[in-house]
Amino acid sequence: MNRLLKIAFRDYIAYVRTPGFWLSILLMPLGIFVFGGAPLLVSRSEPVANLAVVDFTGQGYVATVGKFLVPASAGQRPVARLVEPPGGPFADPASAAAHLKPYVAGVEKLPGGGELEAAAIIKSGPGGVDIDYWSRNVADRSGEFAIDQAVSQAMRRASLAKDGIAPQALASADSLSPRVTDYSAKVGGRTSQREKVRGFAGVGMGFLLWMVVFTGAGMLLNSVIEEKSSRILEVLLTSASVPQIMGGKILGVACVTATVLGVWLTIGGIALSVTAPSIAADLGSVLLTQGMIAYLALYFVGGYLMFATLYVTVGAFCETTREAQTLLGPMMILLSLPMVFMTQAIAHPDSPVLATLSWVPVFTPFMMAARAASDPPLWQIAGTGALMFATTALELWVAGPAFKSGALSSGRFEIRNFFASLARRTGE
Amino acid sequence: MQPALELEQVTKRYGDFEAVRDLSFQAQPGKILGFLGPNGAGKTSTIRMILGLIAPTSGSVTVLGARDVRQVRDRIGFLPEERGLYRRMTPVSAISFLAGLKGVAPAEGRNRARKMLEEQGLSEAKDRQIRALSKGMAQKVQLLSALAHEPDLVLLDEPFSGLDPVNQQSLEALIKGLAARGATVVFSTHVMQHAERLCDQVVLLAKGRKVFDGTVDQARAAAPRSLIFEGQFDPAALAELPGLGERTVEALDDGVIRVTATLAADAPAQAALIAAFGLGLDIRRFELREPHLHDAFIVLTNTAGGQA
Repeated sequence: MNRLLKIAFRDYIAYVRTPGFWLSILLMPLGIFVFGGAPLLVSRSEPVANLAVVDFTGQGYVATVGKFLVPASAGQRPVARLVEPPGGPFADPASAAAHLKPYVAGVEKLPGGGELEAAAIIKSGPGGVDIDYWSRNVADRSGEFAIDQAVSQAMRRASLAKDGIAPQALASADSLSPRVTDYSAKVGGRTSQREKVRGFAGVGMGFLLWMVVFTGAGMLLNSVIEEKSSRILEVLLTSASVPQIMGGKILGVACVTATVLGVWLTIGGIALSVTAPSIAADLGSVLLTQGMIAYLALYFVGGYLMFATLYVTVGAFCETTREAQTLLGPMMILLSLPMVFMTQAIAHPDSPVLATLSWVPVFTPFMMAARAASDPPLWQIAGTGALMFATTALELWVAGPAFKSGALSSGRFEIRNFFASLARRTGE
Repeated sequence: MQPALELEQVTKRYGDFEAVRDLSFQAQPGKILGFLGPNGAGKTSTIRMILGLIAPTSGSVTVLGARDVRQVRDRIGFLPEERGLYRRMTPVSAISFLAGLKGVAPAEGRNRARKMLEEQGLSEAKDRQIRALSKGMAQKVQLLSALAHEPDLVLLDEPFSGLDPVNQQSLEALIKGLAARGATVVFSTHVMQHAERLCDQVVLLAKGRKVFDGTVDQARAAAPRSLIFEGQFDPAALAELPGLGERTVEALDDGVIRVTATLAADAPAQAALIAAFGLGLDIRRFELREPHLHDAFIVLTNTAGGQA
């Protein structure tokens, strides 16, 4: 045990002293900030688009569109700024389109010096009203959507007014909506924010585990490859047993990831407490009651051990990371599947597909963490947990001799040698 | 006295390939044993069996009195053939870490590391990262890391490879020092000069089999002595000299030739010289050359190769 701790401590210190460790700690909160703030930053940095509307129907849709473009509250940005169509009035829609196209394309400037980003030509058509929408950025449909909404509403109101319904009655009818209250059969009462937080906490932990497994396992892989290629592993094997070396390395990297996670969670917790104190309180309550922490820790530890053992063993056979990719490439594709299914667990935690995947040991930790909100039955928790730990124990039993065999081997990584060493153990 | 190391009829097979066959030898405490053999002779496999890294297919290995090497792991020091250390560690931390795995307390490990580095003239490098050291310095650090726990048995796999002559000399002194303090040193090499200077005992392997086990002098005796004649004479005349065997002739300047002839084990060299003068040969230089370990190595491995 003493040797295991010494190896773990050395590996931990070795990582903590690297610039990469500190970058991980500092860049993740920065990354979250950028990830969350980037869309806002991009939209705010972009000037409000100029939109020209030409109405050939005579129904006054330009004014209606103008009202729709005004933001609902003072802090919001307008979708677009309505500008006078340059060169108007136009004889017909075709000449309007021909005249406005160079402006929308950016060839011509507006009389005030700005640019015209979009132009809408509203005209009578066989179905009532047709709108030709010209824009420079076809990916941005916000202007088109606003015009569609504005003209649709104006058309409905005109139609109803024609049938004798007063505008006040229309406005009153539009404001009608039922009051919906959420009840949860599981809770036996009203659904609270806490219940929603519980669902997101499970999925969040699933994603966190996925991230920890792959960053931690990647670190382990590189560390073992470095020791294998420099023959340090051979020296370690003369001083410590295989379980001590593997255990020490796995524990050392676990402590590194725990340190990074601890810092991230602390920063995240503080940020959440400041920006959304009620959610932070609910999250704390969810994690600290009903054994949620133990539940998540169970799958966290099992999942990390399972994948860390695999990566350490593969690393012992490889002199370079490129060699390791030969084996881990297909594995990575397989392990990207939980990412797809975990997002579904928010809305459908009891889906038969997710419940079935929970019994596949390589998916168990991710699926069960993501399903935490649905309170899986105890037999499922016990069964999947037992299967996961049994798989990990089997993996450790097989991986020990394979690790030693890999550490002492030389030359290029051969996938058949890797499987042969595993087979030797299982055939004993 | 109980041997520090004893191998009895050890065989190691990898599938159909037999790396070591029926190998038996002993190493006595406080002695230096050279483990010699050409590349692929089975030296590294044998060292790995001694270290318990791989199990023999048959036979037994007893290390420091223990059949299970794990029981005496802390009393063994090992330097692998291919070298490497944690590149970002300092020599002091690397040595104390590896000594720590052998049971040396951290503070004691650091003290020993500093002392050893100082003794080896590396005190200035003790706090630099190993990646910043020269290859020779890094190799010395690795050697020290194998010795910091003061092992009773030291196994060095090709310790001289990659070292410059000055460092080779310094390593020889270190090995002698280890034996002087009572440690048993087993080192593998295919450079005979080191073995010749250092070893109390040599074990020679060829194609996985032991072809010799004894002292350096005994090994030398396996190779024939040679007589060298230089002068202006007919080389065929040397056939009449007593005790001479196979001859090689080289032409030197001004019609002078050099004949190197093997001398039978029990034949006195003086008799050949007296006979040469008796024949009136123009001998200007005469030399009796005792065989080196290198000659013995070639003879013994060739003999084994012929037998295999």
